[in-house]
Amino acid sequence: MFEIRRLSAKITIQVVLALLAIPYLIPLVQMVVGSLRGTGFGNYEAVWNTGVVPRFFLNSAIVAAGTIAIVYAVTMTAAFGFAKLRIFGKEVYFWLLLAALTLPEVVLLTPLFVTANTLGMYDTLLAVILPLAALQAPFTILLARNFYDGVPTELMEAGRVDGAGVVKVFWHIILPLTRPIAAAIIVLTLLNAWNSYLLPLVMLQSADHQVVTLLPQFFVGEFANDQTKVLASAVIIAIPEVVAYICLQKYFERGLSAGALK
Amino acid sequence: MTKKLKRTMAALAAAAVTAAGLTACAGPSGGTGAEDDVAPAGTDAEASIIWYGWTPGPPATDNYIKAFNEMYPNIKVEWKQVDIDGYNAAVRPAIASDSSPDVYQMSAGSANGGAVIFGDSALDLTNDVKNLLGDDWRSKFSAVAIDTMTVNDRLVALAAGMVYAGNLWINQDIFDKYGLTAPTTLDEWKTVCATLESNGVGCFVQGVAQGAFDIDTLHAIAEQVEPGWFDKALTGQAKWTDEQWVQTLELWKRLFDEGIMQDGAAGLMQYPEVNNAFLAQEYAMVMMGTWYTMYVQPETMKQAMEAAGVADPVPFTITPIMLPDLVGKGNTGHLFADPDYANGVSAKSKNVAAAKAFTLWYSARPEGQQAIADSLNLLPVLSGVTPNWDNIELVNPEVQESAVKDLFEVAESSTSQRFGGISADMNDALVVTAQSVATGQATPQQAAETLQSTADSL
Amino acid sequence: MAIRTGSRRARGRNQAPGLPWILPAMALVVGLIYYAIGDTFYISTLDWNGVSPFAEEVGAGNFAKMFADPVFWQSLTHTAVFFVCTFALQTLIGFTFAAILHTEVKLRTVHKVIVFLPTVLAPATMAPTFRLLFSDAGMLNDILRGIGLDKLAHPWLADPNTALPTIMLITVWQWTGMTFILYYASMSQIDSDILEAARLDGAGNFRVLSAIVWPSCRGTTTVMAILGFIGALKTFDVPWLVTVGGPNHATEFLGTYIYRQGIRNSHVGYAAAISLALLVLAVAGAILMTLNNRRQAK
Repeated sequence: MFEIRRLSAKITIQVVLALLAIPYLIPLVQMVVGSLRGTGFGNYEAVWNTGVVPRFFLNSAIVAAGTIAIVYAVTMTAAFGFAKLRIFGKEVYFWLLLAALTLPEVVLLTPLFVTANTLGMYDTLLAVILPLAALQAPFTILLARNFYDGVPTELMEAGRVDGAGVVKVFWHIILPLTRPIAAAIIVLTLLNAWNSYLLPLVMLQSADHQVVTLLPQFFVGEFANDQTKVLASAVIIAIPEVVAYICLQKYFERGLSAGALK
Repeated sequence: MTKKLKRTMAALAAAAVTAAGLTACAGPSGGTGAEDDVAPAGTDAEASIIWYGWTPGPPATDNYIKAFNEMYPNIKVEWKQVDIDGYNAAVRPAIASDSSPDVYQMSAGSANGGAVIFGDSALDLTNDVKNLLGDDWRSKFSAVAIDTMTVNDRLVALAAGMVYAGNLWINQDIFDKYGLTAPTTLDEWKTVCATLESNGVGCFVQGVAQGAFDIDTLHAIAEQVEPGWFDKALTGQAKWTDEQWVQTLELWKRLFDEGIMQDGAAGLMQYPEVNNAFLAQEYAMVMMGTWYTMYVQPETMKQAMEAAGVADPVPFTITPIMLPDLVGKGNTGHLFADPDYANGVSAKSKNVAAAKAFTLWYSARPEGQQAIADSLNLLPVLSGVTPNWDNIELVNPEVQESAVKDLFEVAESSTSQRFGGISADMNDALVVTAQSVATGQATPQQAAETLQSTADSL
Repeated sequence: MAIRTGSRRARGRNQAPGLPWILPAMALVVGLIYYAIGDTFYISTLDWNGVSPFAEEVGAGNFAKMFADPVFWQSLTHTAVFFVCTFALQTLIGFTFAAILHTEVKLRTVHKVIVFLPTVLAPATMAPTFRLLFSDAGMLNDILRGIGLDKLAHPWLADPNTALPTIMLITVWQWTGMTFILYYASMSQIDSDILEAARLDGAGNFRVLSAIVWPSCRGTTTVMAILGFIGALKTFDVPWLVTVGGPNHATEFLGTYIYRQGIRNSHVGYAAAISLALLVLAVAGAILMTLNNRRQAK
């Protein structure tokens, strides 16, 4: 966004960036240092030795993948509908969706539990995936609708002139343009799904169905709170998210600037 | 005007309680009487039960289950640990569902899993205990253990063990190093703190942000001002605006003003920060109850120190002392008690016999209680069971064995409840009192008035 | 090419019917969440502990109690202050980060990851770290004393006057990554030709930023304001885990108060009433913000 030619300006901006980043770095450093106190890397070993790490990671991955798939599908289509298509009483539907965002999770737990129990989903990963997706979708639809609004309608009309149907226009013209927001949505949904704690705690019972956020519980009891291993767990839990972010980050930069209008 | 609730959940729960009532009469094996409800020891009948709770967690829970399986080899127990803060949220829907845990933990009063509330979904265990221990079963338990778990005349859970609070622990090694003896008065305490701080060691540490421990300290001070007064105020027989309470709050405030409490106490939690700071030997004194006794064992102490971030820990000697006499009336040594946790059998359990067998083994059989006693974490609830000192290794047996025995003796003679009589709203109000006085937002007099008006509105 | 939420251009002439496109989302959200909202309505009329098969019907009693409850109003004030401050700070920092990182600078990925990382860490694991960081002997005070600002050094979370700002700083630390990501995605939508044309006209960096980039991100800013507003109303984990809403309710929010009443103290009906107040506030606030944005966009 900035155009910089002079060396002094380059240095200035680099320094500003570093100064902004340092406060964000300090707690992270403290966390890693904390995870190495006491028995050092033995803390990480202790987390691994709980024997549940692979199982929990797999379950979290399933939950995250399922949630992302559902959220992505309903968001991309709904945001397209809201932004570019004719719907009678559009805003009413939109606000109905948004209102679902407003109740705190703790209030939702009991009704969601009753629903899951009635549908026979209790203690299955689906009992976590569906509510997570339902809670995430209004948020991502709001984001995506805004992004779609910024996609020129001329593009669609051009497609229609070429004789393509709405589905084709959506698939071949719109979807590729929305990669930056799609990447953002995937990352944000991954965060929410991977870090969800209360829903798995309530919905999943058997040890085979637990997820990574329940790992620190192995080290927190009433009269014991082993922060060294809790922090080691936190570091381990965070790694997949960081990797996912780094892998996806290139998509953030591909939008209209990639030359779609030309 | 109580009206029956038609909600799905409540209907489920109601049906469950009714069904459970019927089951209790008929018995699972078809009407041979209530005693058949409990699976007999050594039974061949196979069953699998799920046990929900927040404490103590593995490895202790694994050890207890293993010990239980020596008597009941065919009952499989699966422990599910839920952290203390999420416990109410997780267990409330679970015990109302068809997939209810069979056994779930409760605590006294209105804390997490408070028996007053969560006992509604549990079976009454009175007859089962009576069948096991005889008509005088009550006399075989610590009175507080039974009282706190009796809700509307139903024994909704069996306490696993007791914790007592009101005492302090000191780092004896640090005290010895600087030639100090445990303070017995406020002035001595100030001198001790001055000596320690001039040597770069913290004196006393408490996590005032974590309300339960504030109430412990206030309660302990109140017992010094006038023994038994705190209980009277809780039950409405005394006013919080009485001079006893104002004096208690003034003394509480002095702990902050005279440099006994560490700076910034109101921003720290007892767990993990304060516990860690004490175990890392940064401070020499801490307000912790009988549960800290487990750290007289070298192996437990070593692990706890590692958890506190100490590399290559060498266990140090801790000894219990009573809160120094802040009032000068000589009323020291009052402790107050709670069952740390209790096990209840869910009314929706599909394995009532096995669940009851486990619960009874845990609390009403000497085998289970011996395991609890030997952990030194809790005091047993069943009379006649004491820690097997010959088998317990101590960091410093010379100093610690007699000190701990003395502590347990004081504890067992105490009759006052810790949180059992404090409702959730009262708990909040007491924490606000403690914190508003500690941070200087209210004078003791003002805080006392606020507390009384809150108490009036409840 | 201004971005407008629900802009007029979007409602062109040749639009196909859109209902089938939004149906899956509606089914998922309404199907799962609206039962919960209806349920909350019903529970808000009860005096119930959440477990007992019996509950007392109290009509609007819980709402009357709420309006008379000083802690409710205190929580509401904290929530409002919290929203304004965290939103402003997060937007400023997130936007700046996004703009700088869209520029040719060194170590871009490293900086992105540093800002992003806090959003992936569960507040539960970070809470003790923060309590120590802001404690009397903590790192912040070490730094302040080190640069001669001894007077400012004090236990931040123990002082009721600084506890709330500290909680805000922790929240900003945690969520700037999200603001950054969204601005970053939004900036990638700006046509590079427009930027180049402006530069050819002699516009400097700050002119480009304020005249082109910032207006282009207006839609994102509005979305962030709406989400930040709803998020502030629901704020729970940071204040609850770091200070339990204390000392003396100094960091009590609507979200923590709902948890305190509904889960910890088992006043399920009262918590439901506060939740409904939250719902009304959130929807009303979000609608106002959207309308305001549209008015400005014209």
